[in-house]
Amino acid sequence: MRDYIIRRLLGLIPILLGISIAIFVIMQLIPGDVVSGILGIEQTPELRAMWEKKLGLDKPLIEQYFSWIGKAVTGDFGESFRTGAPVFPEIISRFKISAELAILGCVIAWLIALPLGILSSLKRNSIIDRIVRVVALMGVSIPNFASATLIILFLAKGFNYHTPVKYVGLLENFGTNMEIMLLPAFILGSVMAGSVMRMTRSSMLEVLRQDYIKAVRAKGAPEKTTIFRHAFKNSSIPIVTLIGMQIGSLMGGTVVIEQIFSIPGLGQLTLTGITQRDFPVVQGCVLFIAFVYVIVNLLVDILYTYIDPRITYS
Amino acid sequence: MKKLFALILALALALSVMGGALAEGNVLRYGTETEPAGFDPHTISSHASLRVMGQVYNQLVDVNEALEVVPELATSWEISPDNLTYTFHLVDNAYFHSGRKMTAEDVKYSFERILNPDLGALGNSSSYAGDIDTIEVVDELTVKMTLKKVNVTFLSNLSSSYCSVVDKDVVEANEGSLLRADGGTGPYTLGEWVADNHVTVNASNNYFNEAEKATFDAIEFYVMTDASSRLNALRTGAVDLIVADTAMLDLVNEGDPIQTISYQTRDYVGLFMNCKRAPFDNEKVRQAVNYALDREEIIEFAYNGQATVSGFIPASMGHWAVDVSEKDYYTQNIEKAKALLTEAGYPNGFETVITVGLEDGIRDMGIVVQQQLAEIGITAEVQNEENAQYIDDWKAHNFDIMICHNGAGSDPNRGVAFFFSSTGSANIQDYSNARVDELCVLGTATTDTALREEYYKEAINIILDECAAATVACPMAYFLASPALQGYAPNASNTSNFAGVTLTK
Repeated sequence: MRDYIIRRLLGLIPILLGISIAIFVIMQLIPGDVVSGILGIEQTPELRAMWEKKLGLDKPLIEQYFSWIGKAVTGDFGESFRTGAPVFPEIISRFKISAELAILGCVIAWLIALPLGILSSLKRNSIIDRIVRVVALMGVSIPNFASATLIILFLAKGFNYHTPVKYVGLLENFGTNMEIMLLPAFILGSVMAGSVMRMTRSSMLEVLRQDYIKAVRAKGAPEKTTIFRHAFKNSSIPIVTLIGMQIGSLMGGTVVIEQIFSIPGLGQLTLTGITQRDFPVVQGCVLFIAFVYVIVNLLVDILYTYIDPRITYS
Repeated sequence: MKKLFALILALALALSVMGGALAEGNVLRYGTETEPAGFDPHTISSHASLRVMGQVYNQLVDVNEALEVVPELATSWEISPDNLTYTFHLVDNAYFHSGRKMTAEDVKYSFERILNPDLGALGNSSSYAGDIDTIEVVDELTVKMTLKKVNVTFLSNLSSSYCSVVDKDVVEANEGSLLRADGGTGPYTLGEWVADNHVTVNASNNYFNEAEKATFDAIEFYVMTDASSRLNALRTGAVDLIVADTAMLDLVNEGDPIQTISYQTRDYVGLFMNCKRAPFDNEKVRQAVNYALDREEIIEFAYNGQATVSGFIPASMGHWAVDVSEKDYYTQNIEKAKALLTEAGYPNGFETVITVGLEDGIRDMGIVVQQQLAEIGITAEVQNEENAQYIDDWKAHNFDIMICHNGAGSDPNRGVAFFFSSTGSANIQDYSNARVDELCVLGTATTDTALREEYYKEAINIILDECAAATVACPMAYFLASPALQGYAPNASNTSNFAGVTLTK
């Protein structure tokens, strides 16, 4: 197992290198650059040359890349071209916010999806099953920007309420932080819940049809044990896979929800970096998101061995 | 299911109770549309940053709504008879936020910083402080600046944020950068900056100008990129003031506790035609385009009627403006446009591309102009460009027709020379006329206002007649605010002056 984890972590190196080269090339290919953004209408060739020199953009591309990657391996992701702030601490502080939102969203999704998914599979084709399936379909099909805008409007008009606009960290003030985060988390969660619910239902149905479930029931095991210990546990591998993928992508921030609720997460940082052509920020964010995604998937793989002891990695 | 429903209901009720809570203290909460890019007044041009820096920094002089230069950190000044030497007498009670007194040495340091080529300061050009040759400290409160050449716009140029006076000690303590530091003397000090969420400025307790002293304990600038959440935040009292556009005005319902605040900008929108590219190198084609435009229709569609037909020196520039309603080609005349196209050798029109950026107004304008040009046989494709691409094409003069939103500045030299002289760095249409160039030089070489007016009006008329650009309109700018906000009167010279503004909660 330890060897497997080490191997997977080593496998990260070529992935991250490949991504860093791809981002570097893409950032060069897209039109527009950071100097134009800084100078705007005031730019003259002299001012431009000064800024290019200052930001190191006058050096050959290969040199720019290697000087960046050389520092990056030592953990120094450079400084933002625009704000001069060191990139890595900024990413970490934004990641904490995105991670909190992602985890809250997931918990809400599971709380909705797992019980309803199981219920739906047990009462197959009943009225409850039909309602759950329609609700799940709605969750999957309503885009979160639409539901977010509608919910904000509904709360403003109906209850004269808006979530606090000033962001406060979890440890600074737990109550206010929850007030800021719960609504966006609920919207994220409701979208995720749709697919998790559908996956739980179909996976449970498949397992419930198996002979061993009949055997468990025949030997007189209580229904609770049959469902949770025997059926649910065995049906949870695809659910865990799906949830892993969802957490992975949520950790990278959810641009739309973050924008609508003015939450300073990783998604906003990346988007601002892209629109301002702030290369160190974009490169740092993308690499970090890729890293988190791979780690979350590794954790999911490890989790498989606990769910199904037959799975081993060597 | 019942429990879940009960939970949601309880949550909604709890939220409605919390909704009534107001911010503590006397704080102005301002919902803005973009994230600032740091707060170094010498190197940052972003609107969002300027809004904040306007509270934190001062300049030697200011320009009022009537475009007159008025004292700020300089109480008075003398100009030598040859118009080359400016002697400024400074206020003796201005303090940096570090607590240190501001002196002539700081003014010298600030301008040397601007002129230092390694900084890449925006003020290091003729449009601002670039013409300064030497700076001399006469005594603690007197500083003398000598120019390389006469530039009568120099004094008003100094009112720009790019010419702010900064604290040397703070710059040096922050390795030469003020992006995240406060080196100002303004009514507010730079407080917390949570990027992509908010910036706070706090009242300074020793601001030199009693009349312009901070009236709030703090101003909080919120980044709320989504227009509808900005409006809902205002509706529910989560913020007191928001940046708005004409499209948002339609979303305000009767009975909403919202007041609309507007002012006439000194900006203009218009079509810039590439004078180096066929067929726009032909003056007749440019004139034909001018005749093809129905400017009232454009204003109605793109600006909800909230703009006035204007040339590139708008009426809000006072006596400098030229009344375009007297110009024949500011009234749509399809027949004449077609005749001009025929004379130019394009009886059946031609195909072209209209380049527009992300701004709603100019994007909508592109569509109307496309239809209007079709009436005279010009088939135009509207090319929507992302901001950086738009700036790239702007910089490279890579377009047939580009729709731009420009600021005319506070002196006609900006509106004329910067955009239309052969050497003007914003002359993206590559227009060139020797007489205009000559007039631009004459215009900055004399202090005689009547004579300057004569020079600039001649230049403006030539540029309009040769259709170096088909300018369309001067738009209004909007803010929406809670009815509790009193005394906020933005104008084209200053949109972020909160002196005397109060919230009656």
